[in-house]
Amino acid sequence: MRKPYVQRQRADWWLRNPAYRRYMLREATALPLLLYALLLMSGLYQFTRGEAAFLAWLALLRSPWLLALHGLALAAAQYHAVTWIALVPKILVIDSDRLRVSPATVQRVHQLGAVTCNAGLLVLALLLLRAAGGY
Amino acid sequence: MTDKVTVRVQRYRPEEDAAPWEQSFEVPYSEDLSILDALNQIKDQQDPTLSHRWSCRMAICGSCGVMVNNEPRLACKTFLRDYRDRGPVQVRALDNFPIERDLVSDISGLVEHLETVQPWLIRARESPVGEGAYLQTPEQMQRYAAFGQCINCGLCYAACPQFGRDPAFLGPGALALAQRYNLDSRDEGAAQRMQWLNADVGVWSCTFVGYCSEVCPKDVDPAAAINRGKVASDLNYAVNLFNILRGKDNA
Repeated sequence: MRKPYVQRQRADWWLRNPAYRRYMLREATALPLLLYALLLMSGLYQFTRGEAAFLAWLALLRSPWLLALHGLALAAAQYHAVTWIALVPKILVIDSDRLRVSPATVQRVHQLGAVTCNAGLLVLALLLLRAAGGY
Repeated sequence: MTDKVTVRVQRYRPEEDAAPWEQSFEVPYSEDLSILDALNQIKDQQDPTLSHRWSCRMAICGSCGVMVNNEPRLACKTFLRDYRDRGPVQVRALDNFPIERDLVSDISGLVEHLETVQPWLIRARESPVGEGAYLQTPEQMQRYAAFGQCINCGLCYAACPQFGRDPAFLGPGALALAQRYNLDSRDEGAAQRMQWLNADVGVWSCTFVGYCSEVCPKDVDPAAAINRGKVASDLNYAVNLFNILRGKDNA
C-alpha cells in the first residue's frame, strides 16, 4: 500500500540556505525603497499645504533616522541594480545569424547605462538647485 | 583501524512511520567514497531495508538525487571527502517531492510537467522519412545545446521554493525543456508551447531565485531558460495586443 509522505514547505524555508537568503535580501531591497517613496510623497503633500509645511518637512529630513533611511535606500538600490544587471546577460541573449553580442558586452553596456543615467540625474539635480539659487 | 564517517540517513517506512526520522550509520571512510557508495555500503552491509534509487553511478541517469546537508545533489557526484571535519553528513529525500520510502521520492509530478510542454520536434508539415533528417548547422545546435543537457534528476525542483509552494508550477526542468525546443531551428511548435509559458503555472510563477541553476549537475541553467521564456511571453503579449488594436480577432 502506498502512503507517500507529503513535505510541506516550512515558513522559514528561506533561512535554511545561503542562496535563499541572498535572494530574500535582493527582494527585501524593495522595503527601504518603499519607505523612501512614501517619504518623497509626503514631501509632495506638504508642498501642497504651503511654504511653512514644506520647510518643516525639509527640516525633518535632517533627522538622523531619515538620513539613515536615505543611506539605506541608496545602498539597497545599488545592491539591487548590481545584482540585477549581473543577471541581464542570461536573459538578453543576442545571438542570431545577423548579430552577435557577447554576454560580457551586454552586461557592460547595462552597467554603463545605469552609471550614465544616475550621473546624468545627479548633474541635472545640481544644475536645477543652482538655477533655483541654491538651497 | 579504518577511519569511519557518520552518515545520518532519513528513513520513512510508510507501513510503520507517520513521519520521516533520522538514523545514524558509521561508514568506513575512503578518499573516493561518494554518498552513493556510502548508501550502498549501508544497504549491503548494515541495513538491507534502506531504500534509495540509483543506476549509472556517473551523473547521467539522474536517479540518485538527494538532499546532502540541505543541498540538492546527485549522490554519485558528491564525495564525503568534501564534508570532512564538518560533522555528520545528513542525507534526506529531495525537498518538495512526496517521499515514497526512505530516500525515494515520488517524481511523477515532474514527469507530468515535462510532458506538458510537448518536448519533441513539432512541425507544421512532417517531411516523409524518405526526405532524410531535418538538417541543422552546429551553430544552430549550439543555441539550445546547454538546455538539452537535462537528465530529469529533479534537483532543480528540490531547489525551487516556488515549486515547493505550488506543485502545479511547471518548474525549472520543464520550462528549460520547452525553451530547448523553442530555440531549436528544426522546431515549429513555439506557438503551441506559448500557452504553457503564458499560463499561471508557466514562466511568470518564477521569481528568479536562481538556485535551480546553482544546483544543476549538468549546467543547464534553467533560470536563464525560464527568464528568456518571459521575454518570449512578453513579445507574444505585445504582438497579440497589436493585432487586437488592428482589429484582428485571432490574437
